[in-house]
Amino acid sequence: MLAEQRRQRLAAAMREAGIDHMVLYGNAWQGDYLRYGADFGILEGHGIAVVAADGVVELFLDSATEVERAELEAAQVQVHFAADIARAVGTRLDRAANDRIAAAPRRFVPRWLLEPERNFALADGTALLDQLLMHKTAGELAAIRRAARIADEAYGEFRRAVRPGRRQYEIVADIESHLRRRGCPDNFMIIGSGGKDVFGMTPPSERRIAAGDLVTTELTPAVEGYFAQICRTLVVGKASASQRRAFDVYVEALEAGIAAVRPGARAADVARAENDVFRKHGLGEYTTSQWTRVRGHGMGLFADSKPHILEDVNTVLESGMALIVHPNTYHPDAGYIVLGDALVVTDRGCEVLCRTPRELFEVAA
Amino acid sequence: MRRGLIARSLVELPDAVLQARLDRLGAAMGEAQFDALVIYTNNTRPAGVSWLTGFVPYWSEGLLVVPRAGAPVLVVALSFRVKAWIERTSRVGEVLHTPRIGLKAAQRIATARADAAVGIVDFEGLPSGIAEDLREGGPGLRLSDASALFSKLRAKADPAEIALAARAAAIGRCALGVAAGDTLGAIVASVEAEARSLGAEEIYLAAATDLDREARFMRVEGERSLGKSFALRATLAYKGTWVRLVRTFGATAVAREAASRLAQAVAPLPGDCGFSGFRSWLIEGCRTTQPLDALMGSRVDGSTPPPPGALVSVQAAVSIDGQTVLVGAPALIGGRGEASSLIVDPDFG
Repeated sequence: MLAEQRRQRLAAAMREAGIDHMVLYGNAWQGDYLRYGADFGILEGHGIAVVAADGVVELFLDSATEVERAELEAAQVQVHFAADIARAVGTRLDRAANDRIAAAPRRFVPRWLLEPERNFALADGTALLDQLLMHKTAGELAAIRRAARIADEAYGEFRRAVRPGRRQYEIVADIESHLRRRGCPDNFMIIGSGGKDVFGMTPPSERRIAAGDLVTTELTPAVEGYFAQICRTLVVGKASASQRRAFDVYVEALEAGIAAVRPGARAADVARAENDVFRKHGLGEYTTSQWTRVRGHGMGLFADSKPHILEDVNTVLESGMALIVHPNTYHPDAGYIVLGDALVVTDRGCEVLCRTPRELFEVAA
Repeated sequence: MRRGLIARSLVELPDAVLQARLDRLGAAMGEAQFDALVIYTNNTRPAGVSWLTGFVPYWSEGLLVVPRAGAPVLVVALSFRVKAWIERTSRVGEVLHTPRIGLKAAQRIATARADAAVGIVDFEGLPSGIAEDLREGGPGLRLSDASALFSKLRAKADPAEIALAARAAAIGRCALGVAAGDTLGAIVASVEAEARSLGAEEIYLAAATDLDREARFMRVEGERSLGKSFALRATLAYKGTWVRLVRTFGATAVAREAASRLAQAVAPLPGDCGFSGFRSWLIEGCRTTQPLDALMGSRVDGSTPPPPGALVSVQAAVSIDGQTVLVGAPALIGGRGEASSLIVDPDFG
């Protein structure tokens, strides 16, 4: 259902742009463009879909194991195993050399396909796909809402899993196991634990949880390929007064950012609203790229979709976009703190999807 | 995009092992007259860079620049806030952070020699944006493909890599061995919990939920009813080394026979192929940057037999007494007259 809707939207956009064939590249890190057109959630190797304007999709994969899976999971697609994927796709495109062909995301497409010796030329179709990826249908938003419910539940599990003496990777094992039990196949999750010595989140390490630690996580489960994220921070034991004072800044910044989300606002407006709170508290330095990457981002078939919420990103927000607003950064009195809620832009503002309270949680030391 | 434990162990991957690999590469680069070698890495193509440095990206992408002599430089698109994490989990001379990794890598090479001969592993498959940036950053650099050179060095596993594969296989076997539950979700959850608790860097589970109907694997999303026999495939990484294992449930006796036949089929590799009695089969191993490339198989045209000393993962389907059994395990290809052998016994009976 979702796949068919996407395919129809893509075909219509291609016709409008005068594109006969769209080449979509994907891998397990950035698989959203490929999944949009071919409805395959790639895990291993490269995948390239050639989508014709009449809706016919051919999917080329260089992993034999993935080919078998794609044959079952993407039943409407012609699947080809191609150990040398660039040349196999090139042979296919040779048959369409006189047609208008575009590629997305063009910068990820194997170099060989863009060499001037080829019989065909690939225009950049990235912006066309980005528009489709950012503006969600009702069905896509429903999947994101379901993913947000799962994220809330998983954060509850996270609070139960964090105990002194446990290693970070053991906690992540509990969460991933919980998600698999819920039938959720994918998740992007990073974690941090400690104090002022921690400057961000990473994949889990062997570090043990200790009393007094701030424990941060970004949980991003997916439903039917659509990711929804939640960011929260907890303390092992009683939060100190300075930890609480620090956390209050993030609550204020998150609320300011969410209040700025409405159709017609720009991504930059949301980032500025969050950062102004930090500046007001004399913490403006910690809104720079030295301390934080983004102040939020889009959500969808990729966990870190466009638009990025930064003061220099002027993408106009429109109803139907899905975002996370997260003023995550370092605080000099407490360490790295995260707090973020997933939301959907609506006609009059936004609908916040996360239901987990915006608290600095405490777990037993 | 999931990841479990990413940590470097100086016991499992000592400096001396990584330096020996770099020394071999440096010698080969000298013979090929390369001044520098460039290897791309991301979430799905980590195997070249992790083999030389231990670095495994959980996100984003990077280029490893290996000079013919001297320490390698890792150029990553990850922000410098994770520099300390990269330095903790890998062994590189320097880490540079920039969104345009191709540009920075080329500039770095060109600083030493503007017309340097640069070998690029999997040059054809390099993301075009990075290739364009390499040309912009070093317009005088002479770029060419170095896949064959790298693949030849990478193919034969050293004792450290074999030990990591054995550990990955042991984790996978243990995890599939404790599989329990009334539903597919519960079973998969139990396997995943065990594997990650034992330190797996990653585990992808796929299921063939009713072998009487379908013998191909699917990703598990939502709940599915299970047939009287079904199979799980675990694709598992431990500290950068990937293996696949398969367990068939509900057919203990024939699964034992299938495990025995798999061991027999593997033994003559890389010479004779012993898979004639199987319905389908596949042998995968690392050639350059992808952990498990298809090398040989019933659906693979133009086989690339693994050389003696290579690590591979083997999966196969076989019919025994009218029952379909799926079986799989990693194997070490024999050398100097030794038989090839499975690293773990895929019999879970």
